[in-house]
Amino acid sequence: MSDFILTARGLAKTYQSGDRKIGVLRNVELEVSAGESVSIRGESGSGKSTLLNLLAGLDTPDAGTLSWAGTPVAMGEATRRRADFLGMVFQSFYLIPEIDAFQNVLMAARIRRAPGPAEKARARDLLARVGLAERASHLPSQLSGGERQRVAVARALMNSPRLLLADEPTGNLDEQTGDSVIELLLDLCRESGTSLVLVTHNLAHAAKTRRSLFLHEGVLRPVATGPRPVG
Amino acid sequence: MPWYLYLALKQLFPTGRFPFFTAISVMGVALGVMVLTIVTSVMGGFGYEIRRMIVETEGEVTIKPRVLLEDAPATLAIVRRIPGVAAASPYAKGPVMVMSQGIPAFPIFRGLDLDSVNSVTNLARFVSPAGAIDQLDDDAVILSAQLAQTLGVRLGDTVEIYSPLLIEKLKSDEVFLPRQFRVVGQLYVGHQQLDSSMVYGTLRAAQEIYGLGRRVHGINLRLAPGAGEEAVVARINAALPADQRAYLWMESWADFLWVLNLEKSINFFLLLFIVIIAAFSVMSSLLISVVRKTREIGLLGALGASPRQVALCFCAQAFVIGVTGTGLGLALGFGILAVRNEIVHGLTNLLQRQQTLQQFYQFADLPAHTLPRDLVVTTVAAIVISTLAGLLPAWRAAKLKPVEALRGE
Repeated sequence: MSDFILTARGLAKTYQSGDRKIGVLRNVELEVSAGESVSIRGESGSGKSTLLNLLAGLDTPDAGTLSWAGTPVAMGEATRRRADFLGMVFQSFYLIPEIDAFQNVLMAARIRRAPGPAEKARARDLLARVGLAERASHLPSQLSGGERQRVAVARALMNSPRLLLADEPTGNLDEQTGDSVIELLLDLCRESGTSLVLVTHNLAHAAKTRRSLFLHEGVLRPVATGPRPVG
Repeated sequence: MPWYLYLALKQLFPTGRFPFFTAISVMGVALGVMVLTIVTSVMGGFGYEIRRMIVETEGEVTIKPRVLLEDAPATLAIVRRIPGVAAASPYAKGPVMVMSQGIPAFPIFRGLDLDSVNSVTNLARFVSPAGAIDQLDDDAVILSAQLAQTLGVRLGDTVEIYSPLLIEKLKSDEVFLPRQFRVVGQLYVGHQQLDSSMVYGTLRAAQEIYGLGRRVHGINLRLAPGAGEEAVVARINAALPADQRAYLWMESWADFLWVLNLEKSINFFLLLFIVIIAAFSVMSSLLISVVRKTREIGLLGALGASPRQVALCFCAQAFVIGVTGTGLGLALGFGILAVRNEIVHGLTNLLQRQQTLQQFYQFADLPAHTLPRDLVVTTVAAIVISTLAGLLPAWRAAKLKPVEALRGE
């Protein structure tokens, strides 16, 4: 059994644009250990989100293999395993507008099974942990952008995932709010021992992760940096 | 509750705002169900009223001989022993001419056996003044209310009744004088045919008018409550001589009831299109919802929802719209049925066509009778059609790939 929570070997993805084939990812190699935080930066259109979708099993690579906790991910079974294994945070929050913050967090658990008292208590705890205990009954439309993203973070952690994939989670937030969301994300992952793959444009946010990678011309390369955080 | 059902309900009835799209979809189904309920109930009412009219005035079963019943007491003795037969009453009937003040009319004269008629029919209920049946004797008759009105006859007046035997007698150069009868009552059932063309007298008077002697035209039977009509009729026919046969009330009206049923089926089929059109509205609303919620559908996939569950979420919405619309439609339908006569009378009074409606449809009030079978067919059809309307949106939603849906493509 591998020690890595996430292992990607030789991932490649090509898109068809008219008669042209555009190679977005070529031979991507990535290993993420348990509890490790990794940031991925790159220019716009470099394929960061495509890579994250491949890592989440939402998209199929043209070549290469993907393993979650040492078990290869087959596209057919990715959906079933995803709810247990990983959480995702998106730039646009994607909260369900018809239900309140508490129910949005609980929705991640609902999709696995009918939530009991334990799941409801965890949803309340997570909302308290992201500082929104008082706003649990508020609809997404009654929350600010930063508050919505914090609800999305709580939802991503609801099922105690072993891996959290965050796709530019501060892209729609101001600098100060974005900083606090990243701090929260890192703290929660550190506390729960959840591995984190953070896609970001923000150099400062990337610097807060243990390892930084840069996606360029479809290949992930390590970024040489100074002293890194422990997590 | 499964998440897809929970989310379906939340998307249909969101917290804190009026569910406009849901209301429109539900109203479409409700209107269809309402119209179906009203029409099937009114059509069912005609059938029910026909039954009531026959059963209350003639009993459920009639025994008819091939020509004339020669020995009525013998047949009565046979049928009264058959389980399920509660009462029996012989009768004689046929067309006559009634004259009063030079005005002729050609009703049916029905001779009643005064000893047994009240145990088989409820005629006494429809006769005024009360107890008029008890005042009948061989020189008295009860006229249908509209017939009395046409002839200009009032209680205590005398009418002349001419028998068809008059023609037979004329052939042998005999003169057969009309009989004079005293009018002791009027009959009002609420059915145009009965209220305009019946004369009730004693059996003896009818036998005399038709020259029957002691013979009769048939026997009316009342069945015991809960006795299976068709089974009792089968038992009676097995016991009767070959030249006599028992007919259930509906056999006498088979053609009319068949036409009524056909009309009801055609109406149901045509009006079902309202529900089908409403289903297209449901489909349209849900297809718009799939487009509006493309990113949410992608998110559900990212959270681990399977395409089948996503499809169920939209099917569940169509099902809930169907159930809610059907419930509302039934409530509206029964609400309108409760005040149907006020609406019809208001409308006919406004248009001054009360008489026309009564002459055409036979009934003074708009009848309504909802059969459980019609209710089940309407409910199931509306819910199934609405749920089917969710299949295309459900398929579209399930077909969305999460990664493309999240990009909003």
